[in-house]
Amino acid sequence: MEGRLANAWRLTVNDKNFIKTALLSEIRIDGRKPFEYRKISIKFGREDGSSEVQLGQTRVISIVTAQLVQPYRDRPKEGMLSIFTEFSPMADPSFEPGRPGELAVELGRIIDRGLRESRAVDTESLCILAGKFVWAVRIDIHILDNGGNLVDAANIAALASLLTFRRPECSLGGEDGQEVIVHPPEIREPLPLMVHHLPIAITFGFFNNESILLIDPTHNEEAVMNGRMTTTVNANGDICAIQKGGGEGVPQRVIMQCLQLATSKAASITKQIKDAVEAFNTERALRKIKRHPTSTGVDVREKQNQ
Amino acid sequence: MEVDREDGRSQNQLRPLACSRSILHRAHGSASWSQGDTKVLAAVYGPRAGTKKNENPEKACIEVIWKPKTGQIGKLEKEYEMILKRTLQSICILTVNPNTTTSVMIQVVNDDGALLPSAINAACMALVDAGIPMRHLAVAICCCVARSGLVILDPTKLEEQKMKAFAYLVFPNLVHSVLPEGSPSVQGEPIENGIITSVTHGTMSVDDYFYCLERGRAASTKLSDFLRRNLQQQPTNSSKAG
Repeated sequence: MEGRLANAWRLTVNDKNFIKTALLSEIRIDGRKPFEYRKISIKFGREDGSSEVQLGQTRVISIVTAQLVQPYRDRPKEGMLSIFTEFSPMADPSFEPGRPGELAVELGRIIDRGLRESRAVDTESLCILAGKFVWAVRIDIHILDNGGNLVDAANIAALASLLTFRRPECSLGGEDGQEVIVHPPEIREPLPLMVHHLPIAITFGFFNNESILLIDPTHNEEAVMNGRMTTTVNANGDICAIQKGGGEGVPQRVIMQCLQLATSKAASITKQIKDAVEAFNTERALRKIKRHPTSTGVDVREKQNQ
Repeated sequence: MEVDREDGRSQNQLRPLACSRSILHRAHGSASWSQGDTKVLAAVYGPRAGTKKNENPEKACIEVIWKPKTGQIGKLEKEYEMILKRTLQSICILTVNPNTTTSVMIQVVNDDGALLPSAINAACMALVDAGIPMRHLAVAICCCVARSGLVILDPTKLEEQKMKAFAYLVFPNLVHSVLPEGSPSVQGEPIENGIITSVTHGTMSVDDYFYCLERGRAASTKLSDFLRRNLQQQPTNSSKAG
């Protein structure tokens, strides 16, 4: 619809100049320092494997589901991991519904590379019957609000939901042991996934002026910056992936500076994710203990005090 | 007749309701609505210039995009989009901003029964949050008929699957209904007795359906109280356009 293009949001020249001039004095428009992250809040839904992450104004939800499928012929003993990113039109007026655009595909690829190629999720433990049945884990990431730096927020959401996801336990049965019996969660406790380490994506923004470097850009800063780089590192100091697609060229020492910064940020974000997951697991265990039906249904008459 | 519901509710009890407004920053209006474990997020952008090709340019147009929790968009989602679009078209004043499009996006966060009514309630709140001119509010409720003939309100997903039939009903809620003078009437009947949308699944007798309507209308007055109280509590943010 041509109307959509007419309504695309553009930052005014005055705003752009203001942001750039402020950055020369190391001031960001939301009051942060250049190497400071916004506040990250990680919340979980009622079901296993659903998380909602808020990074400043950016809001992302991630849902993990799993299905039993036949494995690929050349990898009969490995499960599958696939990531689907949805740039919902509710996040930004310029996002169109339908086929994912460039940004959505790039985001999906960055997260995929961080998880799959660094072997963060153990796919061999997802194999039930070699060559016949493996678990295919699917991560759906929905972007709800674009406040800038979608990659980092989506990555944290994907990791949080993977850590809280539980797959049903299955056992081999049948006459020749070739049948798979999937046990429902009420009979046997579902199992968590084996996650070896947490690859955290950290995004940097580059500008024309070499002395300006910032971390975790907001969407205003993204409209102004000339280049970006996303580094995926884990708390052990391993570099899982680096993505720098075009944009302003930067000297090597800046890249090294970014990597060192990323490693320190990754440690604190990893701790935050682990704390949140632990709190969720405790609450989940407590919920399992309370077996009696809590009278959560409220008589509508009594609701008037709300 | 006593019915044994899993969470201990009686047949006329709704699940705990929770809603919040203005939760997203980029959207012009947004709201989240949850009934028990069912949670839906709605966002509104608009009015934006231009209408789609097949739409009447002399009126405002409403576009609905429904995003399921997981999986591809299929026929069910398209059906929900169509029902929501027609419902919202009847409550919005379309002649105020001609040749514009208001987009309503629905994101399902969790589905535990009564999904479409929650979405309609969330969309209505999001439209209010965005400041779209509306004739009146709409409240939606789900009533189902059990195999024993009993009518219960607000089923969970498990209950919905066990029912013989269920109906999603949307009732209007005018400002006059909360004023002491009473409401305007159409041909002798007050407007609240009308029904905006009714979607049924399964077979039920005519009497059962009328009984559902009656129960649904009674519950909708409570729902609309909750909705109005919530809208009045939070002051609207100043312009969020752009």
